[in-house]
Amino acid sequence: MIDQVVLLPVIMPLLGAGLCLVLGRSAAAQRLVSVIVLALVVAVAGFLLHRADTVGPQSVDVGGWPAGIGISLVADRLSALLLLVSAVVTLCVLLYSLGQGVAEYGRATPLSVFHPTFLVLSAGVSNAFLSADLFNLFVGFEILLVSSYVLITLGGTDARVRAGTIYIVVSLLSSVLFLVAIACVYAACGTVNFAELALRMPDVALPVQHVLQLLLLSVFAIKAAVFPMSAWLPDSYPTAPAPVTAVFAGLLTKVGVYAIIRTQTLIFPDSGMNDLLMWAAILTMLIGILGAVAQSDIKRLLSFTLVSHIGYMLLGVAVGTELGLTGSIFYVAHHITVQTTLFLVAGLIEYRSGTTSLDKLGGLARAAPVLAVMFFVPAMNLAGIPPLSGFLGKLALVQATADLSGFLPALAIGVAIATSLLTLWAVAKAWNRAFWQPAPEESVDRDHTDSLHGHGRPAAGDLRTSDIVEAVEDTRLPRSMAVPTLLLVVVGLALTVLAGPLFALTERAAAETLDRSPYVETVLGSER
Amino acid sequence: MLPLLTLHFLAAAVAPVLVRYLHRGTFPVLALVPAGGFVWLLVHGRPDGTDLEHHSWIGTLGLDVSLALDPLRWTLSLLVTGIGALVLVYCTSYFRAGDPGLWRFSAVFVAFAGAMLGLVLSDNLLLLYVFWELTTVLSYLLVGHNPERSANRRAAMTALLVTTFGGLAMLVGFILLGEHAGTYSAAALVADPPASGPLVTVAIMLVLVGAVSKSALVPFHFWLPGAMAAPTPVSAYLHAAAMVKAGIFLVALLAPAYADTPGWRAVLVSLGLLTMMVGGLRALRQYDAKLLLAYGTVSQLGFLMTLVGLGTRSAALAGLALVLGHALFKATLFMVVGVVDRSTGTRDIRQLSGLHRRMPVLMVVAVIGAASMAGVPPLLGFLSKEAAFAAAEDLGHDLGWTVAGPLTLAGLTLGSILTVAYAARFVWGVFGPAPGVDPCSIKRPSYWLVAAPAVLAVASVVLGLLGGPLTELLAPHADVFPAGAHEPELTLWHGVTVPLMLSVLVLVLGVALFVARHPVAAVQHAVVDRVPMPDAERGYQLVLRGVDRLAIELTGRTQRGSLPFYLGSILVVVAAVPGTALLLAWEPTDVRVADSPAQVVVAVVMAIAAVMTVRSRRRLRAVLLAGITGYGTALLFDLHGAPDLALTQVLVETFVLVTFVLVLRRLPQHFSTRPFTLSRWVRVAIGVMSGVLVAGLAYVASGARVADPISDGFAKPAKEYGGGSNIVNVTLVDIRAWDTLGELSVLVVAATGIASLIFLITDRATLPTTRKPGHDSAWLRNPSLPPERRSIVFEVVTRLIFHAVIVFSVYLALVGHELPGGGFAGGLVAGLALMLRYLAGGRRELDAAAPIDAGVVLGVGLALAAASGLLPTLLGGGVLQSAIVDVHIPVLGTLHLVTSVFFDLGVYLVVVGLALDVLRSLGGGIDKDIETDHDDAQDDEREEVRP
Repeated sequence: MIDQVVLLPVIMPLLGAGLCLVLGRSAAAQRLVSVIVLALVVAVAGFLLHRADTVGPQSVDVGGWPAGIGISLVADRLSALLLLVSAVVTLCVLLYSLGQGVAEYGRATPLSVFHPTFLVLSAGVSNAFLSADLFNLFVGFEILLVSSYVLITLGGTDARVRAGTIYIVVSLLSSVLFLVAIACVYAACGTVNFAELALRMPDVALPVQHVLQLLLLSVFAIKAAVFPMSAWLPDSYPTAPAPVTAVFAGLLTKVGVYAIIRTQTLIFPDSGMNDLLMWAAILTMLIGILGAVAQSDIKRLLSFTLVSHIGYMLLGVAVGTELGLTGSIFYVAHHITVQTTLFLVAGLIEYRSGTTSLDKLGGLARAAPVLAVMFFVPAMNLAGIPPLSGFLGKLALVQATADLSGFLPALAIGVAIATSLLTLWAVAKAWNRAFWQPAPEESVDRDHTDSLHGHGRPAAGDLRTSDIVEAVEDTRLPRSMAVPTLLLVVVGLALTVLAGPLFALTERAAAETLDRSPYVETVLGSER
Repeated sequence: MLPLLTLHFLAAAVAPVLVRYLHRGTFPVLALVPAGGFVWLLVHGRPDGTDLEHHSWIGTLGLDVSLALDPLRWTLSLLVTGIGALVLVYCTSYFRAGDPGLWRFSAVFVAFAGAMLGLVLSDNLLLLYVFWELTTVLSYLLVGHNPERSANRRAAMTALLVTTFGGLAMLVGFILLGEHAGTYSAAALVADPPASGPLVTVAIMLVLVGAVSKSALVPFHFWLPGAMAAPTPVSAYLHAAAMVKAGIFLVALLAPAYADTPGWRAVLVSLGLLTMMVGGLRALRQYDAKLLLAYGTVSQLGFLMTLVGLGTRSAALAGLALVLGHALFKATLFMVVGVVDRSTGTRDIRQLSGLHRRMPVLMVVAVIGAASMAGVPPLLGFLSKEAAFAAAEDLGHDLGWTVAGPLTLAGLTLGSILTVAYAARFVWGVFGPAPGVDPCSIKRPSYWLVAAPAVLAVASVVLGLLGGPLTELLAPHADVFPAGAHEPELTLWHGVTVPLMLSVLVLVLGVALFVARHPVAAVQHAVVDRVPMPDAERGYQLVLRGVDRLAIELTGRTQRGSLPFYLGSILVVVAAVPGTALLLAWEPTDVRVADSPAQVVVAVVMAIAAVMTVRSRRRLRAVLLAGITGYGTALLFDLHGAPDLALTQVLVETFVLVTFVLVLRRLPQHFSTRPFTLSRWVRVAIGVMSGVLVAGLAYVASGARVADPISDGFAKPAKEYGGGSNIVNVTLVDIRAWDTLGELSVLVVAATGIASLIFLITDRATLPTTRKPGHDSAWLRNPSLPPERRSIVFEVVTRLIFHAVIVFSVYLALVGHELPGGGFAGGLVAGLALMLRYLAGGRRELDAAAPIDAGVVLGVGLALAAASGLLPTLLGGGVLQSAIVDVHIPVLGTLHLVTSVFFDLGVYLVVVGLALDVLRSLGGGIDKDIETDHDDAQDDEREEVRP
């Protein structure tokens, strides 16, 4: 019976989504259902992580169909850890969005789609982390992608529909390629169960193995936004409402990274593709961060750092050692938290000032000191300033890379370090301009015109990039938005304070993942 | 030691709160923390060896909180805590009451002091790096304390980037060293250094990059003068005891084991001497007293780095003594400048005039500080300079530097002459008369403001007189180096030796240089103006600008904002990477091309339709042609013996086709004109390549089969365990019900998402419009179409078959387990029935046919499916596990009921809800939109007619 718990992180949000639709008229009931469901998911994820760490991987065969025929879901340390982190982040974003009132976005739609869609998104993410079946992984991706299509176009403004088009079409292409890859894998191996694939793949001729591996890698690389297949991300994420962008940035690309880790370690353990992965990691880090340096809008800047830091996670996988993987897993957990936090803070900045453009912002350090702290700490964390978790993750990755020898690892270290410095530059520039530099003339002019001609806020209204703020006259931070953000800042700091046990856990997770046998035996039963 | 550090950070955390209540009075309270540390260190006494304290943190990374206290660390800790406490006291009167930034400043400053203390106490190199970077970031905040001035912001950024750059290089050095040696403990790495080799050399050089950049040596020196944008107390602390001393400390720490590494001495001594000159010369050109001191620090740092870098016993002792001496006099002098600045409102030595009369006490303090800097006996500065000359004199013996030794000595001498000159320039400039300027009027400074520098000045004097005890105190640090030609000693009187003669020479020439300052300045300016000098700061700016430009150009190339470009690049990557692997894996296989000729025919038709689709100019035609590929797929399923799939595919295809047509009403008839340019040919090529690739993949993958597919084993368990003989349906609702549940949620989300998006555009809800049915209708309840679009036959037929079709759809849903059908097919049939009603009678008719909110249908469906999955767990089974129940119903017979039918009903409802949603939004919504447009157009026509 206890094994059925593994299904709860998926089925509870789906049930909740159904309820939310039925309760469509009552916003309060929707909120209540959503919060309860996601809080339960956090609890279940915590329980699963505890079990996975103390007892071993938790697996369930859905509907009692034996693994291989039916679908299995597995929560091993890797899955459960990522599940827990993403559940916590999702809950915080939900609370934030309640404060912001995204759910009752703009005009009152008769059917509030935000809550059910958000819950389905969470179910999709959970499913992708837990699935032990390639096709079901595809389904997990579809669930989260379709929800994200809806969320990214929320409000239906022209900019969002345009950005959404890029996002949706690219994602659809990746889904088609994923299907092609699944078909090929099934054609060659006759199964889509991860554990069986792990056993059968070595029988496949090596060149064909490479074809399958590269095909899957390409698909996941699109999802994870690995260069040169990353350009869609910065063009589509920034226009969405802040909580949506935050949860996308935190979770969606990481699901791609998780899929890379899972398939690379479980199905293609000695693949010989590590050099290729390392090149991808190097290019992603470098091109991404150069993109960030060139931006003058906080949200776009953050989108580029997101791409860039996917390279770090990839680097650990490319190194392939236990330490490398430890670093990657830790970095994923860190990056989910910090990137989400920063996007939420960007949302707060937008809420307060009506824009996230660095050309128009200014003087926030004096005007909004709490906001300044909430930006500075995660920003430094992102830039890998010690002792924050971003530094610890990078430390593990560089150590792991330094244990290899040769030109490519040396280059990777150099690029990783350069990326770290450039990230610092990018966020420090943002800090200098948005928080330190006095607000540009325009605001002074505005007051001037106000007093002279008596008409209210001429330019400012037009500059607002989001309609949410239109209704808001009071520019102080609402507690209901600030507290969830602060909560995430604290979670980020907790990753640092608890880094000792957390690293021990990620190390065990990496060891278990590389060992493969716990996973395979849990799914198929040890007798095979 | 850990509590000491923790206390600093706790104090930083509570500082903002304290400021609320105590305002400036917070500073003396905060000063208690470093002062406590100072006292603790004094009571603890100088350790003889190395005291270690270990707390584990992250074992995986070798990053542990291991602290150490040895003579070097003890000395530096005393400086860090002692000067820290004094500076905090000084802050009390330095800041104006009511400064709004105090809460931030006080917290950051105490944290900075804590970080610096942590840095000098760290034994673990990674921990050292942690504190190292903390000082960098905190100093960034301190330098930018008044961020309104753009110069301050720039200076803060420069300091941040330059020192972080060095820090990161150092980190890589540490990691290379640590991974090579297997430990990150400095004590272990110094006691038992790894065998030298290229790796160790590279690592050490990287570490030195960090030390050199942190300690502002050429070519990184430019950040330090900029950093004096910080409030003066910060500068005093940063220049004297913190931050820049970190690099000196690191070199002193590692020198015992690594000074013989190739390149170590060459780099440090040459850069050190060069820095000493550059700093001294530039100090002589400054008019801002604080800037003058800042360049003086640069010069002194060069001096210090030369000494600690030499790695001989006597140089080490001299170095440590100079660290002490420099800290005392530099803190004194900066605080003096702060007092002057606060009292007169300027630091420009051309404006300052006559202060020797107005601030005599302060002048005495300043003179002592400056004299110690210049090396005037009997001050501490003199002792350390003498020791330095003595150490340099012995280099020929200690290191065998027959040529480099005397050169080093000459360099130090020359640098010291410059030091004397700028020390004199400082005192004279600040306190002496300025030509043509009236004596400044001053605001008398508070005694506290003068007390702090006075204490330090006294220390310079006292320690200068205590050469013997001081030697004893500091010597253990030097004793780890091999003995040199002479045992080093700090004393006022060595006898008439070379160092003494050099000291005299230095003083004489230095004063001469000061006296002749005007011609000297003229020469300097002439040289600087005429001869192009390499300028590190300009280099830094060029690098930044270069990176900026590179970033913009590169991002412009990759980030086109064009969807076709992104899709194309993805497909090209897929073709290039897995495609190459495919070519390598290519092998003729025995894959059958087709099972029957019919398959080939269907495939060919589909291929032709696909090609025609992309060539089509009209949208409607493209949609219909795409439909052919869909129906063709259904045919292929049927030929393969899967009537279920074929049925579903046909239904889906029909539904999609109608939906497409509904949408096409709002789109132009033709695609936009596309000229046959090169880029289009490229796209055609990419498309063809992708198609070929997928075909090749299918061929190779099928040929590589290594095991029977699992679906071969579905038939028996489907009947026995799943309770149904329709394998497809059992697969959908039972074996892979989990997938189906997921896809259901996809449908739900897609439907509601589309509906809400269309709603936002058309104001048309998914709710039925409540309106009384019209009475004019003959066959349909509520036709809303204009008469010319109504078809009586269509209406009659619809009326007649609608209910039958609905009943049939329920039947399909229920029998699915045994016969072709299932919830999905059933739902689609019901959806098509609704579509008929809509097409025949328009949107109001649809509302009459299904007077219910589509969202509710979707929600109930999804909840039913999920709940029916959870239900079995209450009965002791697993999620989505089916139970088979045979219910005997009198008269009718036995009902073979499999619980998965409830799941299937959920599927049915979701599909119906989807149909309703799509019809309402894409059908009815667009109808209304068109009607509105139509009305508007008529209005417009009327408007036009009227005039």
